[in-house]
Amino acid sequence: MRDVLRIEDLVLKFRGYTGVTEVLHGISLNIRAGERVALVGESGSGKSVTARIVLGQLQELRSAQVQGGLYFEEQDLNRLSRRQWHALRGTHMSMIFQDPTSSLNPVFTIGVQFTEVLRRRDPKLSKEAAAKRAGELLNSVSIHDHARVLNAYPFQLSGGMNQRVAIAMALANHPSLLIADEPGTALDVTVQAQTLHLMHDLVERTGTAVLFISHNLGVVREFADRIYVIYRGRIVEQGPTQAVFENPRHAYTRALMAAVPRITGGGVPEIQDMDGAFFDPLEVHGEDRP
Amino acid sequence: MTPVLRLLARRLGISLIVLVGVSMLIFGIARVIPGDPARIALGPNATAEQVDALRESLHLNEAIPVQYGYFVKDLLRGDLGTSLYTNRPVTQDIAQFLPATLELVLFAGILMVGIGLPLGIWSARYRGRWPDHVIRLVSLLGVSAPSFVWAVILMLLFAFFLPIFPIAGRISDIYEIERVTGFLLIDTLLAGNLAAFRDAFWHIVLPAFALAVSGIGQAARLTRANMVETYDKPYIEMAQAYGFRARRIARKYAFKPSLIPSLTIIGLDFAAMLGNAFLVEAVFAWPGLSRYGVAVILRKDLNAIIGTVLIISATFLIVNLIVDLLIAFLNPRIRYSQRGSS
Ligand SMILES: Nc1ncnc2c1ncn2[C@@H]1O[C@H](COP(=O)(O)OP(=O)(O)OP(=O)(O)O)[C@@H](O)[C@H]1O
Ligand SMILES: [Mg+2]
Repeated sequence: MRDVLRIEDLVLKFRGYTGVTEVLHGISLNIRAGERVALVGESGSGKSVTARIVLGQLQELRSAQVQGGLYFEEQDLNRLSRRQWHALRGTHMSMIFQDPTSSLNPVFTIGVQFTEVLRRRDPKLSKEAAAKRAGELLNSVSIHDHARVLNAYPFQLSGGMNQRVAIAMALANHPSLLIADEPGTALDVTVQAQTLHLMHDLVERTGTAVLFISHNLGVVREFADRIYVIYRGRIVEQGPTQAVFENPRHAYTRALMAAVPRITGGGVPEIQDMDGAFFDPLEVHGEDRP
Repeated sequence: MTPVLRLLARRLGISLIVLVGVSMLIFGIARVIPGDPARIALGPNATAEQVDALRESLHLNEAIPVQYGYFVKDLLRGDLGTSLYTNRPVTQDIAQFLPATLELVLFAGILMVGIGLPLGIWSARYRGRWPDHVIRLVSLLGVSAPSFVWAVILMLLFAFFLPIFPIAGRISDIYEIERVTGFLLIDTLLAGNLAAFRDAFWHIVLPAFALAVSGIGQAARLTRANMVETYDKPYIEMAQAYGFRARRIARKYAFKPSLIPSLTIIGLDFAAMLGNAFLVEAVFAWPGLSRYGVAVILRKDLNAIIGTVLIISATFLIVNLIVDLLIAFLNPRIRYSQRGSS
């Protein structure tokens, strides 16, 4: 099956006052069409920067140096102009963030923001047509009082409601890749689980590939087809979810699984002892990547 | 009652209390500073009887609270008394001089908002790059000198050494414009006299700009600071991740949330221009309320002093009221602060 996204030997460095720091040391991963792939690792391991590189956002930062192959839907992203890359955002690739309420603009209604998103694909879309389309999309995330929600400001809706809105927006333009960076971690556990189920069903139905970023292994196990474990800017283990969970081979993966996530759901596993074995080479499970 | 109406009612109430307070204060102060207004008005050659008669007619021999009672009684009929300096009703004097000052201040306010906000937006959008550095330097320069200094500098540069603008006044003597609103930019248009309009416009540019310079700098700095903060918010990251155009983000999605906290201070700056206008008017010989104000203070013309201070306070309060309403209008959290009442 063809790859929606392929990252090859990605290196990221930041120039700072104290010199250059390398944050990603050559990571490679691929996501096939319609596949749900998780990127798991502790805080600061380089998950979000990877997402921002795929969107082409980090490259616009002058302090960032990015090297490595990036292929999206068979095109070499590095050969696209900035404008062409920009055009992919919000249309062919979209994103869901950690806290739905703070990722929606507080002084514009949901309707205004939804219209803006829909116009990424269809710049001439009228207000009425956008409202109608937004209504259909809200239906798909089980929101039925469209008019009220579209006229509301984010602070007038619950976190779970905003998360549904965010999911509907993310899938509005039929992207082939959805990047979900710890989606709903800011919500309470049951609401987070509900909205994740919803997202799971929707991406399955629409065949959208997902790069799912998380540090919650429990959630990852339910959601992802395949897993990449990232430790300090290196992929240390990769394979089908089941294989990795049943037989974790890398010392860091085992430590991650042994650590008990905190009850808060956002549960960043705290791994106390820094082990030399964490820097062992990559473990690849058999069925992954022929 | 909607939250906005409630806000309006509360603000009006507070404004009224402030006005009463200000009137009492200035009434008291004007009366305790040394000098006999009747003697100053009548001059050294007047007889003691004449002075005493005037004092009597002004109720100056009564206790101050009693005098204040007379003042309030007249005020409620729209009468601010007679000026001893011009021998006309104070209301008439104010009606004559206030429009020139208001026109100057409003024009400066438009410059402040129309130049300051875009500069701030631009600066924030290109933060860390050269447009940002240039704008920050310029706005720092703007806020670092008071408006009368700018008035002198601008006058020397652009009216004296490079005679681009007229050096003083509101309009050239050759034009006779019928007074309708007292705002020359409007009255010349109403008269259909474009040449006069251009002349009046040319006259107001320098003084208004001098008055606005520090406000422009302040508005630019404030807008930049708030927008830089806004740019780090998740909703801007989301807008960028969704590929909204950078210009659209700057002008709409980052600007509006940043404007709300800036507005209060921009409103205060605007109101402060009412005070600074006195000095700028002096430099440019602008026939506004300042000349009148200075003259009546020097003559201890009680009614005129109180009238002038009250009208300026009222203008100040009205500006604040408008700013508060604007904020309420822009900020949905205030507009919908009352559940189920929208
Ligand atoms: N703009 C930047 N300038 C310098 N360093 C950065 C920048 N952005 C990220 N980093 C560094 O890159 C590393 C990886 O950051 P990243 O945000 O990808 O972590 P993460 O895996 O998403 O963590 P978390 O789970 O906490 O979100 C961190 O050490 C961070 O300090
Ligand atoms: Mg992150």
